Amino acid sequence: MAAIKSVEAGPRTLISPAQLSRGRGKVIYWVVLCAAVPLFAALFLFPLYWMVTGGLKSPSEVIQTPPSLFPAHPAPHNYLTAWNDLGLGRLILNTILYAGGALIFQVVFDVAAAYALSKLRPLLGNVILFAMLAAMMIPATVLVLPQYLTANSLPFVHLSLLNTPWAIWLPSVANGFNIFLLKRFFDSVPADLLAAAALDGAGPFRTLWRVVLPISRPIIGVVSIFAAVNVWKDFLWPLLVLSDPSAQTINIGLYHLSNGIPEDVFIAALAIACVPTIVFFLFFQRNIMAGLTAGGVKG
Amino acid sequence: MTATEVTDVTRRRKAGGAIATRPAGRPRYGRKLRDNTSAYVFMVGAIFCFALFSWYPMIREVIMSFQKTNFAGETTWVGLQNYRHIVHDPSFWSAWRATALFAGLALVFGYAVPFVTAVVLNELRHWRGYFRLLVYLPVMIPPAAAAFLWKWFYTPDNSGLFNAVLHALHLPTSQWLQSPHIAMLCLVLFSTWSNMGAAVLVYLASLQGIPGELYDAAEIDGAGLARRVWHVTVPQTRLILSLMLMLQIVATMQVFLEPLILTGGQSGTTTVVYLIYNYAFSFNNYGSGAALGIMLLIVLMGFAGAYLWLSRRSEEG
Amino acid sequence: MKKFGSKRPRRQAAVAGLAVIGAISMAACSSGGGSGSGSGTGGSSGGHVTITVGCEPPKTQAAQRKFFVQDIALFEKANPNVTVKGDDTNPCDDPSTFDAKLASGKMDNVFYTYFTDAANVISSGQAANISKYAGQVKSLGNIQSDLVNLYRQGGSSSGDLYGVPVSNYTLGLLYNKQLFQRAGLNPDQPPTTWDQVRTDAKKISALGNGIVGYGDYSAANVGGWHFTAEMYSFGGSVVSGQKASFDNATGMQVLKNLQAMRWTDNSMGSKQLLQYNDLPQMMGSGKLGMYVGAPDNVTYIHQEYGSSYTNLAEGPMPGDGGTLLGGDGYMFNKKDTPAQIQAGIKFLNFEFLTPGAGQFNFARAKAAAQPVGLPEPNIWTAGTAVAKSTSSDEDSNATIPVANFTPYLNAAPNMKNDIEPPQAQAIYAQGDKVMAAVLTQRNANLKQLLSTFSSQVNSILANQQ
Repeated sequence: MAAIKSVEAGPRTLISPAQLSRGRGKVIYWVVLCAAVPLFAALFLFPLYWMVTGGLKSPSEVIQTPPSLFPAHPAPHNYLTAWNDLGLGRLILNTILYAGGALIFQVVFDVAAAYALSKLRPLLGNVILFAMLAAMMIPATVLVLPQYLTANSLPFVHLSLLNTPWAIWLPSVANGFNIFLLKRFFDSVPADLLAAAALDGAGPFRTLWRVVLPISRPIIGVVSIFAAVNVWKDFLWPLLVLSDPSAQTINIGLYHLSNGIPEDVFIAALAIACVPTIVFFLFFQRNIMAGLTAGGVKG
Repeated sequence: MTATEVTDVTRRRKAGGAIATRPAGRPRYGRKLRDNTSAYVFMVGAIFCFALFSWYPMIREVIMSFQKTNFAGETTWVGLQNYRHIVHDPSFWSAWRATALFAGLALVFGYAVPFVTAVVLNELRHWRGYFRLLVYLPVMIPPAAAAFLWKWFYTPDNSGLFNAVLHALHLPTSQWLQSPHIAMLCLVLFSTWSNMGAAVLVYLASLQGIPGELYDAAEIDGAGLARRVWHVTVPQTRLILSLMLMLQIVATMQVFLEPLILTGGQSGTTTVVYLIYNYAFSFNNYGSGAALGIMLLIVLMGFAGAYLWLSRRSEEG
Repeated sequence: MKKFGSKRPRRQAAVAGLAVIGAISMAACSSGGGSGSGSGTGGSSGGHVTITVGCEPPKTQAAQRKFFVQDIALFEKANPNVTVKGDDTNPCDDPSTFDAKLASGKMDNVFYTYFTDAANVISSGQAANISKYAGQVKSLGNIQSDLVNLYRQGGSSSGDLYGVPVSNYTLGLLYNKQLFQRAGLNPDQPPTTWDQVRTDAKKISALGNGIVGYGDYSAANVGGWHFTAEMYSFGGSVVSGQKASFDNATGMQVLKNLQAMRWTDNSMGSKQLLQYNDLPQMMGSGKLGMYVGAPDNVTYIHQEYGSSYTNLAEGPMPGDGGTLLGGDGYMFNKKDTPAQIQAGIKFLNFEFLTPGAGQFNFARAKAAAQPVGLPEPNIWTAGTAVAKSTSSDEDSNATIPVANFTPYLNAAPNMKNDIEPPQAQAIYAQGDKVMAAVLTQRNANLKQLLSTFSSQVNSILANQQ
């Protein structure tokens, strides 16, 4: 927001404000702007319009040539069928549960670990840090097979995590990028601040809780957004570990539903599946964008 | 890269802090023990998860690649047989070609398009919120839903949205996903559409950090638009550009959802990760899947290594 | 081992009056003496038993689901010590996760399988040996022994029993009588050779307006499944003696026939890479003349797309070879207690093996205006009393114009039934590529496609030995 304000105040960008406000520059600016507005609508809004209206068409209208711009006989019952019969509510709730849990586990475990690595500097801390960062370099998909077999039967205890939220939550904690981001942030917390807390007799936990966390809200916000978004977007891993339809995420549920229901109902289901995140995004747009860009720039 | 810099800075700062505290501190050894204990208490959750889902699987992946293992039978050591088996599979090279093609096309579209978009958006003084909101909208759609939506748009007869539009404009229509020539391009276009929002926002934030005086100075030197982009914009965002480049190469080499949903791996779109999935879950051959995973890992580590080397060199130079 | 969709994944969906259903449940305890068989409920007698049963019809198939739920209630009433929980995972049998689920022991107590899964499940040791309880399976001796043997160790009648077949199908040619009429063809005389299919398809697609003469699959394993069926129809095979056996003149015939229809005649439409439900959907919307499918597709089309079933008719599989036989059945989780196995058998008896009840409750299906009178499933040995009573019951409740299936039925006695190849699922996944290439690339190199496919199949077969 600050950025936007300052822009209006007229900081210099690629093209100088003077150039934009007169003569040819002005004309070109307005032409580009007037072209960009409908172009963005066509690229990013129209597909959503097509989806929402597609869900209102009859099966034969969906596959008719040429397609119709407006549904001839809008059939809102497609949406009802999709909602009632396909268990979308369950899928969405599952996804929220997984995303929320992953967020909490990541924030608690990764913040604690990064803080310990940054400020408490235990014996072998560097080795552990290296191993965690090395994990960041290993692409997730390379490890899916052994991870899957591990989740299927944990070493020693032979418990299976498949079709339980743990199969999503626990692996999400093993995120080297979080450790990297958080540790870098904690490294930048002035030691004097901690020393002052120590002088007051605060132990490591109280220092973390009372001193470090309050100033870490931005970075924790970034980690939280990444955590939730990752769960929301992940596909291959939940596809493998969530075979039970009552435990699936919205992505996996849609994938399994795609084969075997009428196309119009399926399109309605796609539209419904998009609602929660889009509404969430519209409400928290500013926070999300600020968080993303803040994290991004410094990353 | 930047990580090293930051750590160095902190270390210096930390050293200073330590000196300041020492006079008031408790006995050094007691404190060390206490810190160590509490540090490990703090780390135990993360270490547990890393051990279980990162370190152990890494070792297991290597072991599996030398074993014949499936759910039905016993696990036996087979040496390099899995690797030989994969290399002789006719799908092997085509999967690498498909992966490289996807990564290459994604570089052209997925990398250049968001940057150019960000540069243009950064110049627009009106409707800024509108542009940002719209470009980020697809990012908020569940990826499977977006992919099915596009699969429907790509319908090869004229009932499909894209063909209907082309037809209405009297342009030639296309077979889209069914055409081995452009199927991969279709995947990349979809992928760009659904992911570019995040990159655009990152670039925008980075562009806003460029001091205006640099442009003023360049203009005084008589630099035109193109030269200002090349000599100011690009160097000033170099760090973020190179980081995004590496992240994108690594991400696109792992593409899976797009071929799975849009083409089912047909039309020459079976990528390496898709092939790993097939080996394990269609052919029940975990060993060969693991061996292919190791090969992918080596290639990706190669990219990461090259990135580190290049970025270090450019920092020195 | 994947099974591939032996039949069509639809099947589960297709459940319809005939096809399949699953149920679920799990075990627990309580309640005493089983009403039903009461053959010692093993140790837990006096206890309550809960079983999960796979392939309960999903909510989108309202009528079939209602029947299934009703049946569970009826069954539980008659067997107060058993609780049955249906598992409506859809598709019932997903090839890509079947093995993983099997290995993790997460299968239902009474789990659903395609015929093609059975051998692999038995060899993986994940299913319970139910030989001890074989006597409790109702009319086991009246089920076609070929079908039962699929669920026996080694596939022979002397092997131990691990499951119960409940439904079967053979492929034929499903067609739209109305389009036949409009194209000037005799709607009661479907083509019986591939040359005739080609001629008729051409005439039907000449109707224009997006109408496709003949449709075929090329993705999600059903492409390979149809390639196999078409090999059989030309008198060929896919695997013979643990080796691929289609890289020959017959294989070329299959592909050339498709290539000609797709590219020379342009009678297969331009939309390809079709998956299981695409062809029923096209048929349901009146845009498709013919496709290779089993009779129960009629139920599926009616259930899912609400279209009328009076226009749909079925002819025999074209060609002078055989036809692909598939089907499904239930097996028992190896962790099941004896009480669960017995309760499961009782439920299968009730739902799938009793004339007049469960899948054979034709009066109920008729009352709900579901298609009744289809020539499948057809699990009983011909001529047995149970076969006769089932079919006379079905005939008297028929809702479909039974004559629509006469061509299919008339040809059946002389038709050779070929079962699916070993490792069918993996083979089908590779077969998709061949079908996709032929149907999406003009002038695809057929020889090369077959030889690549063949070497892949050989490697799949070698890997499993």
